[in-house]
Order: sequence, then structure tokens, then C-alpha cells
Amino acid sequence: MPEKMIVCVAVVGHQNNPLYIQSFTEADDALKLHHIVHCSLDVVDERVNNPKKSGSPLNETFLGLLYPTENYKVYGYLTNTKVKFIVVTTDLDVRDADVRNFFRRFHAAYVDAVSNPFHVPGKKITSRTFAERVSTIVKSFGLSSAG
Amino acid sequence: MEEYPEELRTPPVSLIAVVGCPELHATLSRHLHSEQPPINTLALPDFSKASLLFSTTKESKDNDDHETAVGGILKRDWLLKHRTKVPSVLAALFSYDQLSGDPAQWLQVCSLLDQLKALLRPRNVKFLLLVVVPHQSSNPLNDDIGEDRMLALRKRAELDPKYILLFKPDEPSELKQSLQRLGSAFAELASAYYRDEGRRIKLRLEKKTFNSSSIELHVRYCFKVAVYAEFRRDWVEALRFYEDAYQTLREMIGTSKRLPALQRLVEIKTVAEQLHFKISTLLLHGGKVGEAVLWFRRHNASYRRLVGAPEAIFLHREWMSRQFLVFAELLDKSSAAIQNISSLVLATKDTPLTEWESRPAYYYQLAAHYLKEKRSSLELALSMLETANEMDNSAESVVPSAYVGQFARLLEQGDAFSMLPITDEEYIRFAVAEGKRFQDSFEIIALLKKSYESYGDLKVQRMGSFCGFQMAREYYAAGDFTNAKQLFDDIASLYRREGWVILLWEVLGYLRECARKRGTVKEFVEYSLEMAALPVSSGIDTQSLRFKECGPAGPASLAEREVIHKEVFGLVCGESELPQVESRNNLQITGDNPLHLEIDLVSPLRLVLLASVAFHEQIIKPSVSTLITISLLSQLPVSVEIDQLELQFNQSDCNFIIMNAQRPSSAATSDDKQGHRVETSSSLALATNKWLRFTYDIKSDQSGKLECISVIAKIGTHFTICCRAESPASMEDLPLWKFEDRVETSPTKDAALAFNGQKAAQVEEPDPQVDLYLGASGPAFVGESFMVPVTVISMGHAVYSGELKINLVDVKGGGLFSPREAEPYSLDSHHVELVGISGPQGEDESQLGTDEIKKIQKSFGLVSVPSLKCGESWSCKLEIKWHRPKPVMLFVSLGYSPQSNESTAQKVNVHKSLQIEGKTAILINHQFMLPFRRDPLLLSRIKPVSDSDQPASLPLNEISILIVSAKNSAEVPLRLLSMSLQLDNDSVVRSYSTPHEVEDLDPALLVPGEEFKKVFTVISEVNSSKLRLGTMCVRWRRDSGTEEQSGSTVTSVLTEQILPDVNVELPPLVVSLDCPPYAILGDPFTYLIKIRNQTQLLQEVKFSLGDAQSFVLSGSHIDTVFVLPKSEHILSYKLVPLASGVQQLPRFSVTCVRYSAGFLPSIAASTIFVFPSKPHFKVASVRDRRTESLVAE
Repeated sequence: MPEKMIVCVAVVGHQNNPLYIQSFTEADDALKLHHIVHCSLDVVDERVNNPKKSGSPLNETFLGLLYPTENYKVYGYLTNTKVKFIVVTTDLDVRDADVRNFFRRFHAAYVDAVSNPFHVPGKKITSRTFAERVSTIVKSFGLSSAG
Repeated sequence: MEEYPEELRTPPVSLIAVVGCPELHATLSRHLHSEQPPINTLALPDFSKASLLFSTTKESKDNDDHETAVGGILKRDWLLKHRTKVPSVLAALFSYDQLSGDPAQWLQVCSLLDQLKALLRPRNVKFLLLVVVPHQSSNPLNDDIGEDRMLALRKRAELDPKYILLFKPDEPSELKQSLQRLGSAFAELASAYYRDEGRRIKLRLEKKTFNSSSIELHVRYCFKVAVYAEFRRDWVEALRFYEDAYQTLREMIGTSKRLPALQRLVEIKTVAEQLHFKISTLLLHGGKVGEAVLWFRRHNASYRRLVGAPEAIFLHREWMSRQFLVFAELLDKSSAAIQNISSLVLATKDTPLTEWESRPAYYYQLAAHYLKEKRSSLELALSMLETANEMDNSAESVVPSAYVGQFARLLEQGDAFSMLPITDEEYIRFAVAEGKRFQDSFEIIALLKKSYESYGDLKVQRMGSFCGFQMAREYYAAGDFTNAKQLFDDIASLYRREGWVILLWEVLGYLRECARKRGTVKEFVEYSLEMAALPVSSGIDTQSLRFKECGPAGPASLAEREVIHKEVFGLVCGESELPQVESRNNLQITGDNPLHLEIDLVSPLRLVLLASVAFHEQIIKPSVSTLITISLLSQLPVSVEIDQLELQFNQSDCNFIIMNAQRPSSAATSDDKQGHRVETSSSLALATNKWLRFTYDIKSDQSGKLECISVIAKIGTHFTICCRAESPASMEDLPLWKFEDRVETSPTKDAALAFNGQKAAQVEEPDPQVDLYLGASGPAFVGESFMVPVTVISMGHAVYSGELKINLVDVKGGGLFSPREAEPYSLDSHHVELVGISGPQGEDESQLGTDEIKKIQKSFGLVSVPSLKCGESWSCKLEIKWHRPKPVMLFVSLGYSPQSNESTAQKVNVHKSLQIEGKTAILINHQFMLPFRRDPLLLSRIKPVSDSDQPASLPLNEISILIVSAKNSAEVPLRLLSMSLQLDNDSVVRSYSTPHEVEDLDPALLVPGEEFKKVFTVISEVNSSKLRLGTMCVRWRRDSGTEEQSGSTVTSVLTEQILPDVNVELPPLVVSLDCPPYAILGDPFTYLIKIRNQTQLLQEVKFSLGDAQSFVLSGSHIDTVFVLPKSEHILSYKLVPLASGVQQLPRFSVTCVRYSAGFLPSIAASTIFVFPSKPHFKVASVRDRRTESLVAE
């Protein structure tokens, strides 16, 4: 198991409903990751609604570290269409640049997936291609910049 | 935080001691305690106690410095000792009497001083002398003896003079001053003491005088310096040394070998905890929330990995939990003081602070988390120990040892106690035994509750829900299902709303088990059905659903849904009973205990059964059948066979039942629904996500709304689901499933119906089979009672409890009265008025039954119609009166019921309307004339007056003629019955009618447009500029054309018009021409012109008479005459006509000089007819007065 690791990625829709959620962990704590992703939506709401309080103005899609939990760190990303991406990592010393890079690639994959004419906007993403692509991005996380 | 000793929790307070004069101690200590900063006082009643105080600690004094093997890091009681036992200053109180007394007393004082000095010197405790001066004694400084003694005292005590104070307790003003002086001296000395002590230990640190390898001592000294700094309130230095100690301590972890590994770690962590507590407190006290949080983060990062031995993991987790809890409590306390905490967030570039890290809730939550982990690892450790059966009571004698974080075995050997070090194994046994004593789940719930409430205050609902969920799980595990259910229900609603199916599944699983445990069948079935219908498919991320901790429901999967489905349907169909575990009441559904579920529009069970009902037509005729489509949809994983479907409408006659043909047994159950329609369908199987559609015809006899309320599905014998019917047009998406990628079909095959179908339809009224006629002819006239006959003819319906409503509405809108009218409710306010309703001909109004309604208002009437059988008719007349000409719309509506029974109040309505024009029938005009050839000079006429409203002028005491004409402006012939002038006041005006009185006339017929004139003679006798003449009254009626047979109904109408006021004035001159009515050719006649002067003045009058070719005349042509006052001047001419026929008399003109008024008689007045020879008249009596009055003009 590499040191830096993404344990969960999620796409959350307008009504804060999960559109895609996938965990990459051997341990049986996927349910806990669901909880973590769900709780992180509070921080996203807080940051979007009160951009002044959170210090940095909200002028980019990357929301940064949402909150640290006991074992994980949660990062967020908000697209122009107000779709939220959440990623949960194990490592406590993840570099922001890595996460940004990850989100950029993830966003591209998401755009391709929802551009599918058979995809109905607002519904869950069930594309297998998307899932494979996401898993590739997750595996390569941290390698490009670290290595 | 409460478990920390008090001396650690509170900031240190300087301690001083006072000895001697015990009666003053209370005053002193009270004052010092109220000082800012406060000072604690040790009161020693006499000097012997002072030696006791210092002697106890004497021997251990040098141990810590020179001990070769350091026993531990911090001594447990060191801080307490400095807080409560070691004073920084000792104040000796002597009374002045003792000093100034005899030499024996003085010697005693000296020896006491020496003793004290010997005690204090080795420990550097500061010394202070207080001389208590009683009130009556003189000031010792002014006293010779006193001065000497004081000097001696100072020398003896070797004190700076400012530390020998005088104290006068008996003088209130002096007392206050003395106390203040004393307080500042104490504070100064205490501060000096602590500074010296700190400096002494700092020196040791710098010079490394101690065993340099002993990091323990370094930590200890840093701690001490910091504490001394805190005594001095030097927070910056305190913080610096605490941090130094903390960092040094952290380095110790790998290096120290002093204790067995496990206990060593425990000791270090305990000390680190204390140091961290101090640092956090100081930082938060200084308002540096951001720094405190960052410090905590560092603390957490450096120790969270130091788990230690596997069997002692629970200790680490407990310790971690405590770190979070303490920090949460500190934050909680300081956030009350610091209002806007979020604005203080200090985000550094690398490690930005996130929103919740400055909130206590976050730390409470994590404290609970670690406590939970601690519990599980403690259980593990416990089971390991128990299996090894090593539990003995050896743990009982383990007690905390002299050093912070260390434990030792207490051995009793007779009276002596000794501490023996213990092994790690012993220690673990001791720790496990300790841990067993605590009920962790209560603690966890309390922590989570704090977090839950705190998040709730911040309106952070998802975090809060997560805490609530953990809390509920604890309640569930503890068997408190009521609390658990309440929390789970709240959380489930959030997950439902946001569509987190997996999380919802877990919560519902708990809820289902709660219901099972509590024995509530209905809830159990509801939760089970909802779970079975959740959009959990096997298609996606099965791999991630292999949860270890997935609650009682098991992992969310299609297979699990099917299991739940089968279980619950087995239960509701009575085929199986739930194998009940520990509860006493088994879950079962029987005849005595039937189950009825309600599904409304917001119920989560809409997933289970959705009923859409659409009428094919929106408006249906009564008793004509139309089609209705019922569509059912279920998301249950296995298809369900429904035994019977019942449709309920708001008109209960329309309810019907659809039976499942394959379940013959259920036919018996429909017995209770006798009289209702029963349909049979070949199959009532409800497959997953597939609409089950039925189309039936339906008809209603009752008009109004027909709405399908609910669809009740019966499954098994005792289970029913009542599903609220929904319109396909306004149906909302299925919650949760709307996010799924699934095949969506419309509830009806007809797409248009699916788009706009409604669950309700409007049933029209039956067509009326009664005719209503309004038989008004022609326009109505102002003033008359206009009759509108209304006829009700029954054509096919009998009429029962009929009601006729009459409404008069202004055609132009608005009311029937003008807004200018003063009182809207007055009788005259309505321009058009419904005066009455008369019954049918031959029926008197008194014959109408008393119970029948008859209500008439100005513009509204209500009259009841008697019951009519088929073919009968009934009529009445509406009497309407116009006060002003105005068109009016008359609405008449008849409401009746075709059936005689009152219960089915099915009313049928017929409406008719008619516009009626209201017109003025008679136009009255009038005209004033003067007598022929007699002209008074009216001064008001010669003035140039532009005002056309000027009233007509009449000469005083002259005869005037009033001609009144009545014109028929209507379109029908009228008959004039009378015409008269009603005088208001007889004394003012004398009126003479023309000789023929109209009353006697036959009613004069006036064809449309014709005018009738009448002449009145008026002599005004009152000189008034505004004279009221009176009212013209014209009585008339419609000419019925034929004979007077209908005269009974046509009543006469009186039209009145007030004549305008006239101006009556005295004419100064009256000119009258006097000549015979006719002349005969060649016959001379006299033409007299009379000028009468009615004034008191002499009037100069110029006159002229022109020539006329038809006449030869004699007399003056032009002259000026003077007419004497009140006399008449007569100009006389002799004329001989020269031509016959109508001839113009010579033109005559008069000019009155005084009034500059000229007079020229009219052509008519100066015309005369000349007969060729003398005519012969036959005088006959006047027969037709009417024609004569017409010719009068």
C-alpha cells in the first residue's frame, strides 16, 4: 500500500445527493467513508455561503482541505455547475498541488462522462468507462509530482 | 478537565504567611484575597507554628538536585505544595506594646526574630515586619523610646525600612491606608520571591549543574520556572518554558530507559498532557485561538502514533480521547468570552485551519470517537486477560506514586509504607481493572450529545446528524430503543431528503431492529417495506458494500432487499411469524390485530406503492359514463400479488372494488361492501418498476367535483395499504429513485393523459328542462311602475323548492345609485328600484304560504316558486320603478331541484337576463310672454348680460303669460290626464289659468313627438329678484291603444317639474300700443301710443314715427316729451288705411333718455289686417278648447 493514498472519491449533485461514490480501501470501512463524504458537504456549504469567513476568497474551483478527521483528510472541489467533488485521503501530509492535479483530471473525466448523450443530467453516473478512468487517476495520485 | 487537580486547572496565586497577632489575621487575609491579583494567606496563630511549617519540607529539599537516579519527571505534589504550603513572604506581627514594653518583652521579640530569620534564610522566603499600633498610643516615631526601638528592630531583623510597616487597625481611615500599603508590600515581596526562585532554577538550567543526561530534570526545571513565572503573571515566560519542557519531553521518548517501556510512555504522556494543558490554557487565555488550535494539532500529530504495546492500546486511546475532550472544554470556555471565533481563524499557508477546527463540537466528536475505540480495545484486552485467567487482586494495592504518571505497589509493613515498582504486566492488569469501572457508553453519549447540540447551534446539520447517528447507535447498543428510534428517525429524514441511500439503508436497518425489539408491528412493516423499496441495486459498487460495520441490516444489496421483502410479506400475509428473540410480544398480524398503512404524498413509502388516477375527461355529464385509469407502481424487488383493490371517491356511490380473479377466497371479504360495484381483474400482480394499469368506466349522478381520494390495496386477509391517489399531471418524481438511471414510464399509455390527467373531474349539472320567460315589452318610463312578467314553464322537469332570484344591475357597471347622493341607504338613492313582486294573476299575495320566501331589496329580490309538476307553469310580475332615465340589466335565475326529496340537494339552475331601457316619457318646457302690444321697460333686460342662467324677468303687477308645453318623448302614445301649476305660496304669485281647466278634458292623446301646451296667466305682486313660481304637475298614462279594458293595470303617472325662479321687477316705463283689432280700407282709426311713467321722476322720452306707404297719418313724427311721474302720456294718431290685407303700421320707436333704452315694437305688434270693406262676423261659442289653446301662440 503506498504511503499516499486516496480512499474515496465522490461526485455530489445539486441537491447534495450522491451521483457517484467509490471507495478504494481494503478495509471494510466504506460506510464510514460515506459518512465522511456526507459530513464534508457541510463545510462546502459553509465555504460557498460565507466565503469571507473562511479566509481565502472563493475564486477558484478547488476548495482546499475541508476538514481533517481522525484518520483521513477531506478535500473538496466545486465545478461551475455547482457539482461537488469530494476526495478522502489517508495521508496527513498531502500536498495541495497533488490534490489540485487530481481534481483537474477528475473533472475532465466527469465532463466526458456527463457529455455522454445517454446520460441524463442529475442522475447517478453509472458509466463503467468513467469508473475505470477514475480508478486510473486514483492509482496515479501523487506519483507524477512525487516521483 | 475536571479530573485534573485544582492547582493545575487554575492559575497560580501567590501565597504568604502571617504570624502573630491572630486577631488581625481574618482582616488581613480577606483584604489580600480581594486584591488584584489576589494573594492567599496562611495564618499562623503563633510563632511556634512557623517552625512547623518549614520543618516538614526541610529534609527533602536537596534531594532532587543531587539524586543520582531521578525517580520521575514531575513530582506529584510539588505544585500543590507551592500553592498551599510554601509561602513566598512571611509577615511577623508584633504589637507596639511588645516593642515598647519592658526589656523582657523586647528580648522575647528579639529571640523570636532570630528564630524566624534562621527558618527563612535557607529557603529565601521574604520577611516582613508589621507593628500593630493601638489607637490610644502615640505614634512611635514621635516617641523617643519608640524611635529607638524601631531602629533596633530594623537592625535586628536586617530589613529595609520600607518592609517594617505600621498598622493601625482601630482607625478606619488609617486601616484602609495600612492595608493598601501592606498589600503592595506583600505583592512586591512575593513577586521578588518567585522571581528569585525562578532565576535560581533558570541558572541551574543554563549552567547544567545537574546531571546533564537527565532530561527529566531539564523538563522538571523548565516546568518549575514556568510555574514561578505564572505566579508572577509573566505569561510570556511561562509559555516559553512550558513549550521548552514539552519539546524536551517529546525528545525523551526514544531515549529514556528509566522505567519499563509501557509505564515510561504512560508517564511521558501524562506529563505531556499537563504541559499541553498549560500551554493551551495560556494561549486561549491570551485569545490566540488559532495558535492554540495549531498547537493542539502538533500535539495530536506527535503523540497519536505512540500507541505503545498492543495490550495497552486502550490506554493510548483513552489518553487521546481525553486530549480532545480537554481541548474541547477549553475552547468551549474561551469561545464564550471570544465572540466572533471564526474571524480569528489564523490560516497559515501550509496548514490552513478548517472551519470546524476552532469549534468545540469537532473535538467533542473526536473525543467520543477515541473513547469508542478505547472501549473496543479495552474489551479486547479484557477478554485476553480473562481467557488467561490472570485476573487476581494484585491490582488492588497499586496506587499512584510520588511522580506524575507513575504507579507503584504500596506495601504495608507494619506501620511503614513502602512503594515498590511494578512490572508492565502488573500495570496493565491494574489499568484494565480501573478501566472496567467506567461506563464508557454514557460518556460517549454525553460527548456526542455535546457535539450534536453544538453542531445544531451552528446549523451544521450533516455533521450533527452523524453525531446523532453515533449517539443513536450507542443508545441502541445500550438497549434504549426509544431514544435510539427518535434520533434515527431524524437522521433518516435527512438522508431521505438528500438521497444518500446507503446511509439511509443503514439507519433504516437500525430502525427496523428497534421496531422489532419494541414489538411495534406497524413500524416494523413500514421500515421493512421502505428498505425493500430502496434504490439499492447489485449493479454498482458491490465491492465497497462489504462493510464490516454495516449495522443490523447487513450490507445494502439487492439480495438483502429481497430477503427483507420476503420476510415482511410472509409476516403480513400471516404465513409466518417473526421469530422473535427476546421480546415478549411476538410480531404478528391477525384478525384481532390487522395492519393498515397510510401512504400520502410525502410518505417515504411512496416507493412501495404509488397510485396514479386519471379521468379521461375533465368535464363529464351526469349519468354518462366516462373512463378512468388507475395505475399502480411499486419498487419492491419481488412482484406482489394484490388480493383486492378498492377505489374511494369523494362521492361514495362511485366507489368500486377490483377483485383478483385468481384469489377466489377473497370474494367472501367483499360482503361488507355490499351495494358497491365489484369488478374482477385477471391479474393484480405488481411487478418491480412496472405500472399496473386498469381502465374502468365510471359515472356519477351527482353534479360537482368527483375526485378519487385513495386506492386501498389489500394483501392477505389483514393487511391493507391505503395509498393517496395522485394526478399524473402533478405527480412528483419518486424520491431517491429519481437519481437512479432507470427506465421511466408514464403512468398511462396515453402520453397526453399522463401529461395532463387529473384525479378529479367536474360533473356538470343536469340540463335544465324548465323555461323561464321574461316578457317585458318596450322601454320603461321614469316614474311609472314598470311590470315585467316572469313565467316559469316546466317542460320536462318537475320543479321542487324552486327559488327565483332577481338582480338589477346597472348596465354600465357600478351600483344603481349615484355616488353624489348624500345617503346611499336612503330611499331615493336607487335610481332604479325593485318595488315589488306580485304573484300570478288571480292569486293574491296573501295566498302565498308563510313558509315561502319572499325577500325584496332595492336591487335584489328572492321569491320562492311553488312546486310545479311537469307541464305546469307559474308566473309572477316584477314591479320596477325608475327614478332616473337609465338602462338596467335584469337578471333572473331560477334554482330548483327536479326531485322532491330534499336529501339529494341537486339543484338545477336556469338563468335569464334582459336589458331594459328607462326613459323619460314627458318633457316639460315653459315660456313667459307679455301681453300683446304692451311692453314694460325691464331694466334687467337692457343690461348687457352674458349670463344665460339669468332668471327670466317679469314685470311687477303686470300680467304675464306662462306657456307650458308637455312633449311626448317616448315612442308610444300617451294620454295626458291633467296638467296643473302647483303654487308654492299663493300670496306671492297670482296665477290665472286660461279659462278652460284641463281636468275636465278628455285625456288628451299625445302621439310620439307631439306637444301639448297650456297657457297660464301670471301676475306677480311681489318685487323679488328670486321668485319661486311653483311646480308643474303633469299626470299621464300610457295609451293602451284599445279601449280602457286594461286600465286597471295601467295607472296614471305624475311627472313633476319645478319651474325656475323668476326675477320680478317694477318697470319704470310701460309702453302700450292701442289700435283696433282690424281696420277697414278707407276708414280712419285712432292709433294710440301710451307711455306710462311708473317712477317718481320726470322722464324724458324721445319718440319718432316713420311713414308707412299703406297709411295716411296725422300727428307728430318726431318729438321729445316729458312724462310726469306716475302719469301717462298718450300720443294719438289718426290713420287711414290705403291698402287692404295685412299691413305694416307706421314704425314707432321710443327712447328713454334716462335709461338710454330704446323701444321698437315687434313686427307682429305693429301689423294690422285691413279689410276691404266692413266684415260681418258670426259669433259662435268656442267648442274645441284644445285647438284654441294650441293656436294661442
